[in-house]
Amino acid sequence: MILFKQLVALTGSLALLLVVACGGNAAATPIPVAPVTTAAEQPPVSDAAIRVNLGGEPNSLDPQRASSLLEFSVLRQLSQGLLGFDENLMLTGLVAAVVPTVENGGISADGLTYTFKLRPGVSWSDGQPLTAGDFEYTFKRILSPEMAGPYSELFSAIQGGQEYMMSAEADEAAQASLREALGISAVSSDTLVIDLAAPNPTFLQKVALVAAFPVRQDVIEKYGAAWTEAGNHVGNGPYVLSEWVHQDHITLEANPNYWGEAPKQARIQLSMITDVNAELTAYKAGDLDIARVPPGTEAGILADPTLGKQVLPSSQLSSLALFLNTTGEAFGDPIVRQAIATAIDRDSWTEKVKNGVGESATGWLPPGLPGYDPNVGSEYRFDAEKAKALMADAGYPGGEGFPEFTLTYVAAGDQGIMAQFLQAQLSENLGIEMGLDPLDPPSYGQQVIGGRQFDMTLLGWSADYPDPENFLAGLFSSESFLDITGYASDEFDRLAALAAVELDQETRIGLWRQAHQVMISDAPIAPLMFVERYYLKSPEVQGLTLTGIDGEIPGDTRLAEVYLSPEPRVLER
Amino acid sequence: MLKYAVQRLLWMIPVLFGVGTITFVLMHAVPGGPWDKTKNLPPQVVANLNHRYDLDDPLWVQYGKFLGSAARGDLGISYTNQDRDVTEVIRQGLPATMILAGLAFLIAVGAGVPLGVMAAARQNSAIDFASIALATVFASVPSFILGILLVLPFSVAWHLLPSGGWGSPSHVVLPALALSLLPMAFIARITRSSVLEVSEQDYVRTAQAKGMRPLVVHFRHVLRNALVPIVTIIGAEAGALLTGTFIIETVFSVPGIGRLLVQGIMQRDYGLITGMVLFYAVVITVVNLITDLLYAAVDPRIRYS
Repeated sequence: MILFKQLVALTGSLALLLVVACGGNAAATPIPVAPVTTAAEQPPVSDAAIRVNLGGEPNSLDPQRASSLLEFSVLRQLSQGLLGFDENLMLTGLVAAVVPTVENGGISADGLTYTFKLRPGVSWSDGQPLTAGDFEYTFKRILSPEMAGPYSELFSAIQGGQEYMMSAEADEAAQASLREALGISAVSSDTLVIDLAAPNPTFLQKVALVAAFPVRQDVIEKYGAAWTEAGNHVGNGPYVLSEWVHQDHITLEANPNYWGEAPKQARIQLSMITDVNAELTAYKAGDLDIARVPPGTEAGILADPTLGKQVLPSSQLSSLALFLNTTGEAFGDPIVRQAIATAIDRDSWTEKVKNGVGESATGWLPPGLPGYDPNVGSEYRFDAEKAKALMADAGYPGGEGFPEFTLTYVAAGDQGIMAQFLQAQLSENLGIEMGLDPLDPPSYGQQVIGGRQFDMTLLGWSADYPDPENFLAGLFSSESFLDITGYASDEFDRLAALAAVELDQETRIGLWRQAHQVMISDAPIAPLMFVERYYLKSPEVQGLTLTGIDGEIPGDTRLAEVYLSPEPRVLER
Repeated sequence: MLKYAVQRLLWMIPVLFGVGTITFVLMHAVPGGPWDKTKNLPPQVVANLNHRYDLDDPLWVQYGKFLGSAARGDLGISYTNQDRDVTEVIRQGLPATMILAGLAFLIAVGAGVPLGVMAAARQNSAIDFASIALATVFASVPSFILGILLVLPFSVAWHLLPSGGWGSPSHVVLPALALSLLPMAFIARITRSSVLEVSEQDYVRTAQAKGMRPLVVHFRHVLRNALVPIVTIIGAEAGALLTGTFIIETVFSVPGIGRLLVQGIMQRDYGLITGMVLFYAVVITVVNLITDLLYAAVDPRIRYS
């Protein structure tokens, strides 16, 4: 017997098929695409909420202000930008119907003009249609000096962007005219055109960032800074912000006006447990469905008969290395730096100390990133004899006469243990003594990153966007404010400058590959490892897709596809 | 006494002024600012941020603005909490801390004082040693270990109580218990020694000679006269509990104000730091005043002019 509900659904899908078969033109009247599932298609789901820990309170849920992984995780559920990344980290169209390319006319031949056509039928969570005008407002807001967004600099390639960003001290009229002069315009309700001041081959990847998620002008003007509170917030993603109790939890519920497929689980509950061990306790008590494995406990958890089966490894586009101050006394000589790189037994760290979490690295670009090459830096594979010989060549046989130096690092996570490990390695394999200087993040930021007052430091880098430019340009170009090591190589700068404007992706990646090789040979850094995180996932959670750009929550780019099977997890007693 | 109370309250103003100034100076003397992180922002963005929060004004101008707004009761805005007013951030976190502190306080006093009295009454007996041993344990073991020791059986093993969070009466039990143990230990110890001291007095011996039961002697005569040191410690503990506790609130994920100041310092959130410190100064001053007024109520020999 067919139920009425199934009949309606069936009719709906037949009507849809008819429309699609008749080849509806995207530029014609938008046809609302209603998500259609029949009772037969739906997997059995429980109506419970997916419970995950965010790890803390988001400092801001304003996309143009968001800068931390946990903010990204929440925002990815509440909103979507023009573009996104699929599970292979290839660009894909979200609100934009297709990714603009030179072939489809989305990018002009000179690479200076980008045209985005919006998908028809996308609306905000309050029912208002989402237009190109919203995106025009958003992109202009990213560059606004008033917003001072952390990722605003990435969009400064837009025509007029630099001037507008620097106009904080100018009067209102001047600022308004600079804003008008920006190369961003919504030429129709579904077409956005962006003009760049210079070719920027990674521009589309930046458009896929959380910073470019759309916002509603009238909502912001009405509520001011409180527009992100639950009840005021308006987004265009699969979920809406139904509750935000500050410092305590966030509840997300399915967005009834979402253009795509409705989320399989209608609710997500995000807690704000700041202590990793308390999070693990909550998971064991059955209060969380996904939890992080605290660093250092991996061996115990893997050995546990119940928990060991629930471990979920996640590789992120994340590298860790020793950055050496090439302008300092101790590490000015490249041969010394090469000796350091060769003197570290990375495998014993990864296997013995980290219990297999992570991968030893002799290069800086992590696996999964375009341009990754497993053979780069092979000359730095651990070889104590070779390291000693290099040190002797540099004029410090057996480490004698080597100046005193210190390892500066952030006292968090297992950095402390790693620092001690490195201290032991260098003492044992090279005969040089290293001092340790742990700092808290703001002091570290000011001293090391801002002031280059260090000899050697432990630094990790995670991808903002999945491109080698993000890992190399900022950190190693001699003119960059982030060139912490003081590395200055004409060859590297030359390759980087060519890659910065090369529109052919293959050639461009090839250039970055070469630049990477040049940098590794000069050894301003001693690569250590590619970072991995372990999570615990309850067997009830199905359909989780991890990617290299996940934020704090694993699989946060596709949480709408996750569902909970109705059989509850057996808790250990 | 009213005049005394008003005088003390008026003294609060120069105290707050001093506290605010010292905090302001220290905050700006510490290395690292609100925008310094392990992945620093581009210089242009930092310049724009400093402009937005008036951090590019000379320090004395910033100090003047801070004093001006503090005098109007405006504690500033928090950079790390969506630019919300510090007053509002505190107001939202305060209920959780107050409930937790209130319950912990009641447990600490309600269990600590009788425990101390009984230990003194039955000096050198099994009860005395047991209570002293417990007090020593609770005072020495760090509170987060006590917290975890409570969570493991009640939450993880037997699933009787939640392991953390807030929102229902069952969420309050474990953190309040964990929080109360240290104050309870101190209160019990002080009560015991104070009671013992008073027990040496002649009038106590008279009461015992009259045939009053020992427990009655202790609770009715001795305790009342031993209250001054006990009130002192209770006042100090009340102040400590009200300002929230970072450790318990972190271990049990309680959304109170205890976590706020430490988080603010770690992130160099100038607005939140000064706002919270001024708030704490007010709380401690008021609690000290109440404690001093209680002395007068408890001991008729104490008079304020």
